[in-house]
Amino acid sequence: MDAPYKRILVYLDGSEGSMTAAMYAILLAASSKASLHAVYVVNTKALGDLVRSRILIDQEKSEFLSDLQKDAARHIRHTERLASSKDVAITTASIEGSPHKEIVSYIKNNDIDLLVLGSVNVIRSRRDELTSENDRMLRTSPCPVVVVRDSDDNIWQQFEEV
Amino acid sequence: MAFLEAIDKDLIKVPMTAKNGKEAVEELVSLYAAKHGLLPSETESVISHVLDREKLGSTAMENGIAIPHAKIEGLKESAVVIGVSRLPIDFGGDKKSSIFFLVLAPAENPAEHIQILSSIAKVCSSELFVRMLSSSKTKEDVYQLFFD
Repeated sequence: MDAPYKRILVYLDGSEGSMTAAMYAILLAASSKASLHAVYVVNTKALGDLVRSRILIDQEKSEFLSDLQKDAARHIRHTERLASSKDVAITTASIEGSPHKEIVSYIKNNDIDLLVLGSVNVIRSRRDELTSENDRMLRTSPCPVVVVRDSDDNIWQQFEEV
Repeated sequence: MAFLEAIDKDLIKVPMTAKNGKEAVEELVSLYAAKHGLLPSETESVISHVLDREKLGSTAMENGIAIPHAKIEGLKESAVVIGVSRLPIDFGGDKKSSIFFLVLAPAENPAEHIQILSSIAKVCSSELFVRMLSSSKTKEDVYQLFFD
């Protein structure tokens, strides 16, 4: 029986958790022959909001944008190397906007049928304003979602062993 | 690290005793320095980073909240220091500030820095929350507001 997914997307956000998720997504793709996509979303929505509320000045916004674009390129390069080490073909993209909206849009536009995320927050507050982007993706994704615990050392070990 | 994970009861000061913006930054950074065992020279360096950033443009907002912040090279993890002052302090904005969120983030992790600033801005967009925060009498009150 074939795996019930053919196109996997892993969301990269620069965190260690998202790199663990990337490793898991690569293992899934390798074992199922599904195609693999990795997307980093530079959160320009947050940058714009922070300038409007005067927490960032324009100069800072430009610096952060440049830093985030470099961060995106670094994490994408690293994910490509990880995929290559397991002979898994990967399509990567760096997108700018509101992360959860861009990811949902990418899922729809590319017929993604499995989203892989790094860990979601432990629920410590009922304040909706504090919902993370990963939480929003988990709640709004039009396809099934796999959440990878960033504390799961087994994934790193599995990745090394395969 | 998300915003809530950066909140630490030991990094909350109620009430603040600072009389002006510079003293407010010094008071908040000192709290962080005491918790993390910073050397005096390291503490001074962090204060300078924050004050230099404020010189470019005040982070005081209309609602009486200021969010001074700085990127620090080599910082292990992000930190948020919260201060509530009984007497509003001139922090360079149109309106004086009585609530302070000092954000220190590793220069190497811009995404986390933006995420924390964004979370603070969102939670402080609630007038009710800001009123409750400004009327907090103890650090436990402040802490509880985030983890209700």
